[in-house]
Amino acid sequence: MEFSVMLGQLAEGMVKSIGIFALTLLFSLPLGLLVSFGRMAKNRVISTVFKIYISIMRGTPLMLQLLVVFYGPFYLFGANIGGMYRFIAIILGFSLNYAAYFAEIYRSGIESMPRGQYEAAKVLGYNGRQTFLKIILPQVIKRILPAVTNEVITLVKDTSLAFALAYMEMFTVAKQIAAANTTFMPFVVAGVFYYVFNLLVAVVMEAIEKKLNYYH
Amino acid sequence: MKKKLISMMLTAVMAFSLLAGCGAKEEAEPEAQENTAQADKEQAEEPAEQEESSEEKTTFTVGFDAEYPPYGYMDENGEYTGFDLELAQAVCDLEGWELVKTPISWDSKDMELESGTIDCIWNGFTMNGREDDYTWSDPYVDNSQVMVVAENSGIETFDDLAGKVVGVQAASAALQLLQDEEGQKALADTFGALQEFADYNSAFVELQAGSVQAVAMDIGVAQYQIKTRGEGFKIMDEKLNSEKYAIGFKLGNEELRDKVNADLQTLLADGTFDELAEKYELSDMVCLEAK
Amino acid sequence: MNLLEMNHIRKTFDDLEVIKDISLSVKEGEILSIIGPSGSGKSTLLRCATMLEEIDGGEILYMGERAAWMEGKKACHPGKAQMKRLQEYFGLVFQSFNLFPHYSVMKNLTDAPINIQKRNKEEVYREARELLAKMGLEDKEDAYPCQLSGGQCQRVAIARALALNPKIMFFDEPTSALDPELTGEVLKVIRSLADLHITMVIVTHEMSFAREISDRVIFMDKGVVALEGTPEEVFTSSHNRMQEFLGKFRQH
Repeated sequence: MEFSVMLGQLAEGMVKSIGIFALTLLFSLPLGLLVSFGRMAKNRVISTVFKIYISIMRGTPLMLQLLVVFYGPFYLFGANIGGMYRFIAIILGFSLNYAAYFAEIYRSGIESMPRGQYEAAKVLGYNGRQTFLKIILPQVIKRILPAVTNEVITLVKDTSLAFALAYMEMFTVAKQIAAANTTFMPFVVAGVFYYVFNLLVAVVMEAIEKKLNYYH
Repeated sequence: MKKKLISMMLTAVMAFSLLAGCGAKEEAEPEAQENTAQADKEQAEEPAEQEESSEEKTTFTVGFDAEYPPYGYMDENGEYTGFDLELAQAVCDLEGWELVKTPISWDSKDMELESGTIDCIWNGFTMNGREDDYTWSDPYVDNSQVMVVAENSGIETFDDLAGKVVGVQAASAALQLLQDEEGQKALADTFGALQEFADYNSAFVELQAGSVQAVAMDIGVAQYQIKTRGEGFKIMDEKLNSEKYAIGFKLGNEELRDKVNADLQTLLADGTFDELAEKYELSDMVCLEAK
Repeated sequence: MNLLEMNHIRKTFDDLEVIKDISLSVKEGEILSIIGPSGSGKSTLLRCATMLEEIDGGEILYMGERAAWMEGKKACHPGKAQMKRLQEYFGLVFQSFNLFPHYSVMKNLTDAPINIQKRNKEEVYREARELLAKMGLEDKEDAYPCQLSGGQCQRVAIARALALNPKIMFFDEPTSALDPELTGEVLKVIRSLADLHITMVIVTHEMSFAREISDRVIFMDKGVVALEGTPEEVFTSSHNRMQEFLGKFRQH
């Protein structure tokens, strides 16, 4: 196979990997915040439910979760899982999984906020929503940024798990080319891709961290 | 505020599950099977989940392992091709179907087939030992399971494999054979270790590196690998067993199977089948019999 | 009219009764200091008055309007709108400043007046600049709290509370977290507020400051008001516990 053709093929897979990455972040970051609220709810039933959710999501392999999300509807309800659902299942599986990790990161950040910040806001007349959005959340984001960076970098590499649902992302394509041509070249290209991608992620996250460094 | 947050949260969770649900809902009802010719034959056992009986079938979705040359793989131009896929294309041309090539994860092939995301598994699929698990087409390739060793390894017979590390692809027919009490488990027990690989590429690299001393695989795969990799490997004379490849349909899907069988006969009669076999250097192995 | 009235306040933490039936009132323009040993309940009383703690008994009134009262065993407050209005009557300065670290000094002062009280932006900024000038911080409006000394932080916190134009200011040990050499600048600011006849309730360990600035002093001990009167009356009292308390201070 021509090197340029191989690169073209890998680039197609790359676009799909980036797609999984971007959509997963788009959904799991807000969802994680909601899950963390559930986890911290005063109501014992709600907090237990979310605690179990987080425990399952973190305690079982992501690949298994992807299989369950994709094939589950068929085995449970006999539903048709063809067409677009394959991709939806991947995004759903990744988002649900990463939301659990992000939820715990949010929780650690929120719980580390000193009570004085809430009290000062209350005395100044901020209501609960204003307190959270204006006073607490911006500070939490700064605190949790290093932990979030870690997860985001892991996500870049985890996108290759989409192969469990036969989605032709970067690494799957690399494996197929490697098999047909009995060469390791595609893996080298794939490795460079993941590394560069993560380098970019690190640069972006570092820039954000720097931007938030105007106070401590 | 707490209450608002909780309700927001529940809405989000519901939205997610709805999203999951609606992708799944469309046409979930299995339709009653309208068997024509062989209504009395097998109808009783299978309450029928063929979706295509009332609607005209327009697509034919083949599930295959895209890392399994020469049967299914990615070619020079990045297109999926191979003996099986070209044969499937020929069948589709006869029927007027559109061929959908779906590369699958070999580990979840059964789930893909059962859930209806693919119509058949057509990809050097060994029928021996799985006779009752699928509805099979006529066998079209006679494939033996063999051992590949390094040419200079000095390993000549199965007895020489005692204590050696042997590689095999995960979830493959060769592995099944080596784990089967009635198959070659006794032989496998003499190995030092049975090492499972995700793909043949790594298996061969390890064979070359000497970290495994033999790899079990289909003879077709073995010939292809040795041809593309050049000198240094050989297929042992002793064979693990003799097997046949066929197309696996979902259990009970005789209607589709019969159509494909008939088409294979047509392709055999007009010479297309043998042409393809020659193209992929499988002429010695094909075994489709004229009816 | 009494600006603040607290009647028969009780507060318990778990089984410990921290405040045992305390009543006090503050008139407009009055400066009240609350002194007493650690654990006597001074800060808790202030936190009850500012509704950071729920009372377990009694009632709290601002300008004659009830802000907290008991119904059975539960503390109650008026509806949201009324509560918001009542809350604007008072400002609180914390021992540990509790400035918002991600906001500049200016934003710390102006965010609540602009976004919570919905007041005119320009007016708020003008007033904030005046306040900062009064605090001797006119050059710090763009600084962040982390760039300021403790004394400067506390002065910003005082300005932040004043920016909402409260009728009464509470100070919860405003100099306790400061290095000794920094307490002076904060006390000076509070003193200047006294000159403006701003109503203040100050919990403090600065005895001479309390004696000098206050119209009235309350000595709290073990959850009750042990002594109450003019600074002269309280500081010269022969009350046993008061003498003991002052004695400890002289030893420092």
